[in-house]
Amino acid sequence: MSIPDYMQCAEDHQTVLVVVQPVGIVPEDEFFRIYKRITSVAQVSIRDSQRNLYIRYRHHYLPENNEWGDFQTHRKVVGLISVTTCGSAKEWPQTSDRFHCQKDVFGATLYDSRLLVFGLQGEIAEQQRTDVAFYPSYDDCPDVEKRVEDFVESIFIVLESKRLDRATDKSGDKIPLLCVPFEKKDFVGLDTDSRHYKKRCQGRMRKHVGDLCLQAGMLQDALVHYHMAVELLRSVNDFLWLGAALEGLCSASVIFHYPGGTAGKASGREPSLAHGQGQAADAGKRHRPGALTANGISADTSSEIGRAKNCLGPEDIIEKYKEAISYYGKYKNAGVIELEACVKAVRVLAIQKRAMEASEFLQNAVYINLGQLSEEEKIQRYSILSELYHLIGFHRKSAFFKRVAAMQCVAPTIPEPGWRACYKLLLETLSGYSLCLDPKDFSKGSHRGWAAVQVRLLHELVYASRRMGNPGLSVRHLSFLLQTMLDLLSDQEKKEVTQSLENYTSKCPGGMEVLTLPDGLKLPPVPLSKLPIVRSVKLLDLPVSLRPHKQKGLLENNMSSKSPFIYSPIIMHTRGEERTKKIEFRWVQGDVCEVQLMVYNPMPFELRVEHMGLLTSGVEFEALPAALSLPAESGLYPVTLVGVPRTAGNINISGYHTSVFGVTSDCLLDGLPSVRTSGCVVEVIPSLPRLQLSTSLPRSAHPLRPSKEELSSSVSVQLFNGETQQLTITLENIGSEDLETLEVTSKTCNTKEKLFGEFLSWDLEEAVSQLPLKPGQSVTLTVNVKVRLDFSGGENLLQDLNDDGISVTGLPISSPLRQVLKPRAETKPLGSESSKTDYNHVKTLEAVMTFKYSGGAGKMEGYYRDLSLGVHVDVEPSVFFTRVSTLPATRTRQCHLLLDVFNSTEHELMVSANNNQDLVLHPSECQRMAIQVAKFDFHTLPQPDQEAVRYTNPKLLEEERLHAQASMISSTLGSLSVSLSLSLSLCSSSLDVVVNGKPCDCDIIADCKVGDAVPLEVKLTNRSKNAVGPFALTVVPFQDYQNGVQNYDLQDAVTFIGSNTFYIDMVKPTENSACMGALLFLYTGDFYLNIKFQDDSAGQGKELPPSWFGLPSVHIKALEAPIEAGA
Amino acid sequence: MLTRLKTQVPLFSMNSYTKLREKLKLSGLSLASTHSHVIRLGRHSRHNSKMAVCIAVIAKENYPLFIRSVPVQNELKFHYTVHTSLDVVEEKISAVGKAMADQRELYLGLLYPTEDYKVYGYVTNSKVKFVIVVDSSNTSLRDNEIRSMFRKLHNSFTDVMCNPFYNPGDTIQSKAFDSIVSAMMVQAS
Repeated sequence: MSIPDYMQCAEDHQTVLVVVQPVGIVPEDEFFRIYKRITSVAQVSIRDSQRNLYIRYRHHYLPENNEWGDFQTHRKVVGLISVTTCGSAKEWPQTSDRFHCQKDVFGATLYDSRLLVFGLQGEIAEQQRTDVAFYPSYDDCPDVEKRVEDFVESIFIVLESKRLDRATDKSGDKIPLLCVPFEKKDFVGLDTDSRHYKKRCQGRMRKHVGDLCLQAGMLQDALVHYHMAVELLRSVNDFLWLGAALEGLCSASVIFHYPGGTAGKASGREPSLAHGQGQAADAGKRHRPGALTANGISADTSSEIGRAKNCLGPEDIIEKYKEAISYYGKYKNAGVIELEACVKAVRVLAIQKRAMEASEFLQNAVYINLGQLSEEEKIQRYSILSELYHLIGFHRKSAFFKRVAAMQCVAPTIPEPGWRACYKLLLETLSGYSLCLDPKDFSKGSHRGWAAVQVRLLHELVYASRRMGNPGLSVRHLSFLLQTMLDLLSDQEKKEVTQSLENYTSKCPGGMEVLTLPDGLKLPPVPLSKLPIVRSVKLLDLPVSLRPHKQKGLLENNMSSKSPFIYSPIIMHTRGEERTKKIEFRWVQGDVCEVQLMVYNPMPFELRVEHMGLLTSGVEFEALPAALSLPAESGLYPVTLVGVPRTAGNINISGYHTSVFGVTSDCLLDGLPSVRTSGCVVEVIPSLPRLQLSTSLPRSAHPLRPSKEELSSSVSVQLFNGETQQLTITLENIGSEDLETLEVTSKTCNTKEKLFGEFLSWDLEEAVSQLPLKPGQSVTLTVNVKVRLDFSGGENLLQDLNDDGISVTGLPISSPLRQVLKPRAETKPLGSESSKTDYNHVKTLEAVMTFKYSGGAGKMEGYYRDLSLGVHVDVEPSVFFTRVSTLPATRTRQCHLLLDVFNSTEHELMVSANNNQDLVLHPSECQRMAIQVAKFDFHTLPQPDQEAVRYTNPKLLEEERLHAQASMISSTLGSLSVSLSLSLSLCSSSLDVVVNGKPCDCDIIADCKVGDAVPLEVKLTNRSKNAVGPFALTVVPFQDYQNGVQNYDLQDAVTFIGSNTFYIDMVKPTENSACMGALLFLYTGDFYLNIKFQDDSAGQGKELPPSWFGLPSVHIKALEAPIEAGA
Repeated sequence: MLTRLKTQVPLFSMNSYTKLREKLKLSGLSLASTHSHVIRLGRHSRHNSKMAVCIAVIAKENYPLFIRSVPVQNELKFHYTVHTSLDVVEEKISAVGKAMADQRELYLGLLYPTEDYKVYGYVTNSKVKFVIVVDSSNTSLRDNEIRSMFRKLHNSFTDVMCNPFYNPGDTIQSKAFDSIVSAMMVQAS
């Protein structure tokens, strides 16, 4: 007896052993189907006796073990069921013979046997035979179970008869000596008549009867017999059988105490079977007292007191087991018995939850030497040890033995290593080493486990799976090893692991799919989130020029729809949380969006990460993977991952994707608590057009000074003061959407400098007319850059040129050189070099042009984009008007503007005014030029610039008889054009004198004839904002002798027809009033008319100065009347 | 056996440091004897006079804080030995009822014997485990000597824990602790 049955448990002592075997050729699956049906009859209730018979089926049993049947009757094969296929009647005799041969194998011990014949039909099958059952096929055998039950009953009858036969105390008969196989030769020649021998025979027989009683369902009888046997055997020191009797006692007690059985599910029995057993055991317990009364063989067993006494308590059971095992231990040949007893005891202890003692039994079992074990037996032994340790809750020990069993599967002595089995067993050890192959569990828990053994186990798993020919599994385990044990590996190990990982992935790339093993175990994917380690994830806003903005009105709409309250603390609270997740800015569909990761490489060598991309949800997203190479043990390293959202909505950046060492992994941020992130959800708005801006001017190297807002681009240009430069801006639609709207605004950033005129001006009409702009098309916009700055250094006063007291107020075009020029040396060449540097400083002007554009689906949602162009202009001084004054021209409506022009540039320049000749100015030269300009009515001017405001002050109006208003003087210097504005205006009210139907002015001489009445019309036009008048207007003729003498005494020469004094009533603004009169010249000559105004409003006649009205002097030439008229 | 007690309760100077130590150790110095569970001893008789062949300190969460063995080349074997011994340690701790936990003796006695070694265990009140593996042929080593070894180990461990620069849960890298362990692993007198 060399092969232990590790599945045995104490209650197996009450079973009878039936062997079910195929005869001839029986398909394996068919056999096992029938076997399964047979084994379902595990317990048979015997009709008359209310007792139960338990059957243990084996489809394989060593005849060698059968020889121990006398020692423990449950080891004895008492029944044989053969299963055979018989196709035709011809084969039947042969089949029958074979069955008989098989019967002979167990012949000595068999009580009964059956043959199940499948496939045979016809004459033979018709026969009614008790020992043979015929079935047409494996599928058509409805009464197999019934047959088996009948068979079991017949066994019971034999068993019962044997029991009765042995139990009756025939003191007269000689009791045969029962013995185990190895004892047989020891007893040869022994004195069979000695007391000692007889006692031994008695004791052994008692024990045997006890076994039979137990099998026959008479527990109490069995206990009594065992007790007697123990006493008898103890007295003769028959240790082996004493042990067996003690074990029998234990078994019977266990059966009594634990009707549920001690095998448990761990023993590998089918659950349905165990369930059936449990029920049966309950039933058995109920019936047991009945069983006692039913038989009256041993009177002393029927009392209740005896029962309680005979049955061992739970503590005693273990003590007796210990004793029995120690007796067994004395015999080398009883190793299997000892081992099995240990296993049984352990199962009992497991039920009693006495793990410590159980472990002692197991420890002992480990040492039992069964001689030379085959490798397979070793594996079986280690596995069963592992199972038993598991049963008592020693998971580490269990794992240890399982691992040993696994290693045994592939021991070098085995010609065909069972890597598959090894791998399977290794997987089973995982729980014992508190290792779970799901990396999620690992990252979560605080349980770190015993790293050294875990690493070892993982290595073994990798190796086993590789030898199994499944590199996919190796890759998975290696990834797991790298991911979870990275901190515990030495640099050398890291190198080795990654190298082998690369080797495996070259055959089978690692992925993210769940690997399912044949036995159903699922290996979850292992994302290598530590290669590289990601510390933070930050979503980046689009570049400034591509950022979408929401139109204000729509935004408010949106807000109000969310909540009717302006403020609510409750809503704020929840929204606040939301905000931490959601990001303020937006992304745009179709535009490249960026996410910045801070990563570092924990490996001691360079790490190549390929196909690093983003994982997203919510929006269709096209990730554009990147490849990176991180130096060994790098510090934090920024990596920007990009992608293009293809649809609109809320996008959630859920993780990233990497491919390292051939293992692709999807690392989800949820599973990485160490990653800092400022939120991963961002809104993607529908696509917007994209404009690219290019300009005719070079790009600016230096950014604008007030760089509060970021600019998409900027240009810089250098201009002379007053120069105009055209800037051509080309806007190209490089997006995929039509550009539908375009708005251009500008903002001057530099507010320190006083700026005249519009700095930037453009005409958008043409550009707008080309909209919508298809993708790929471009539109140009011409912007005039005009710089007019005050280089005077803040001083506003111009040097007055005139000595005649006419106050001149010019524009602030005075020069810082005014002091230098004070000595009025107009032609004096100016400027030592030092003084030149004083004024030659460059001023800068900066402005930002903003192009607001929108189109496509984004426009529907109310989004637009900004493109800003910074314009940086360095302004150099060009021409200064150092002094300015006006001289009245010969005509009242015109005047001369005198300007001292100074060229501060280093170039020769030419100044040209509207109607003047060109004036050539050499560098640093100052010359005076006079320009005749027409006076004009400044009220009618459309308020050209802020300088006009100063003169609208009515008080100044009154005091200044003549003043300047803007007028353009343009000068040219090569292509350079400088403009200057000066204003000269008409007086507030003008007087037009019409003589003889002709308007009169200074230079015009009205002709008239002597003796004719000359109609005179004086028209007052009020150009001021206030009503004027009433006035008294007196016309006085006089003659100027051109020698300073004016003759007013002309009563003889000139006569008024009517009054020479007119009364003009109040004249409202912009209205006029005319007075008609007539003159009659009596003599020829040159006459002038003096027109005097008197303010008539106050009543007293106060003369008003004529300059107020810009009174023209009327010159009339009276001529001789033509002769012919007189004739 | 009790009469062979060699080690005395060390006399503490009453400074705060030792008071803290004492607090940590609590009943670590109780000297009640336990009986060891030896099923089979000395199947092989190899002579080895080393005191301990492996000493391990195991954290509450059952991962090693410190492990050192004398045949360095086969350290993994001891890893397995110590690791499996935790089953017994846990069983022994859980066997003592909750109410009795305070009075529980820290020394657990023999955890289990293997063919070549005997494994002894000791659990502090903070569930830190000490495991000492001795050669099973070393019959001269008595229970009391094992106890005193554990006590020394506990004292030294307490010192390690008192080090403000030591993070509880990290592996022990203290030189002082190392030397104590080394002393236990050298030739016995």
